[in-house]
Amino acid sequence: MDSLKLNILGMARYRGKVGQLSFILHRLAGLGTLLFLAVHILDTSTVYFFPSLYEHAIEIYRSTPFMIGEIALVFFVIYHGVNGARIAIFDLFAPDRWNVETQRKSAIWSLVIAILIWLPAAFMMGRSLLVNNFGL
Amino acid sequence: MTTNTNQNQINQTAVLDGFESIAWKWMRYSGLLLIPLAWGHVLIQDVLVGVHSIDLDYVALRWASLGWRVYDFLLLAFAFAHGVNGLRQVLNDYIRQDSTRTKVTWVLLVLWFVLSLIGAMAIIGGVRIPEV
Repeated sequence: MDSLKLNILGMARYRGKVGQLSFILHRLAGLGTLLFLAVHILDTSTVYFFPSLYEHAIEIYRSTPFMIGEIALVFFVIYHGVNGARIAIFDLFAPDRWNVETQRKSAIWSLVIAILIWLPAAFMMGRSLLVNNFGL
Repeated sequence: MTTNTNQNQINQTAVLDGFESIAWKWMRYSGLLLIPLAWGHVLIQDVLVGVHSIDLDYVALRWASLGWRVYDFLLLAFAFAHGVNGLRQVLNDYIRQDSTRTKVTWVLLVLWFVLSLIGAMAIIGGVRIPEV
C-alpha cells in the first residue's frame, strides 16, 4: 500500500504544498465531473433512444448513495469552476501576476469561495435527501 | 529605470500558435463560458428542482422550449469537449511514448465524437413518450 501511494504521488509530483494540492484537487474534480458527464449524456439520451429506460436511470439517481454522490459532484463542479476561473483570469488577463505568493493566496481563496458557494447548495440537496428518502 | 526586484517574477516567452497552443486557450475560454452554463444547469436541476421531480414529462416540458434545447446543446458541446481535452492533457502528462499518445488521442477523439453525436441526436430528436 505504501509503495502504491508513493508511486501515485510520485507520478503526480509538482511543486508541493498548496500549489500541488490545488493542482491535484483541480484534476480530480475535472476527471470526476467528466466521468459523470459521460454517463449523464448516455442516461439523458435514453429519452430519445429508449424512453422506457429513462425512469430506471432516474430511479438510480434518486437512491441515497447517488444523492450523496450528487452533493460531492456539485462541490467538484463549483471548485473546478472557481479554481479554473482563477487560472484562466491570471493566464489571460494578468500573466505578470503569476508568482508563487499570489498563487498560494489565490489558491486558498479559491477553495474558501468554492466551499462558501457549495454550502447552501449542499444544505438544499441534503434536505431533499432527508425529505424524500427518509421521510423527515 | 526601475528594476523589478520581485524574485518570483516569471519570464514570459512568445509561444508559437499550434494545436497545443489553441487547446490551451480553448480550455481557458471554454472554461470561463462553462461557469454560467454548467453552474446554471446544476443550480436548476440538482439544487432547485431536484432529481425526485425529474421524469420524462419534465424533460419533455423543458425541451418544448427551443431556448432550453439550445442551452443544453451548448452545454453538451462545450462541457464534453472541455472535459475530453482535459483528460487528454492529463493522460499526456503520464504517457511518455509518442506512439501511445497518438493512439490515446484517437481513442479520445472517437469517444468524444460518438458521445457528442448521441447527445446531440437526443436533444434534436426530443423526448419520445412511450405509448401506454
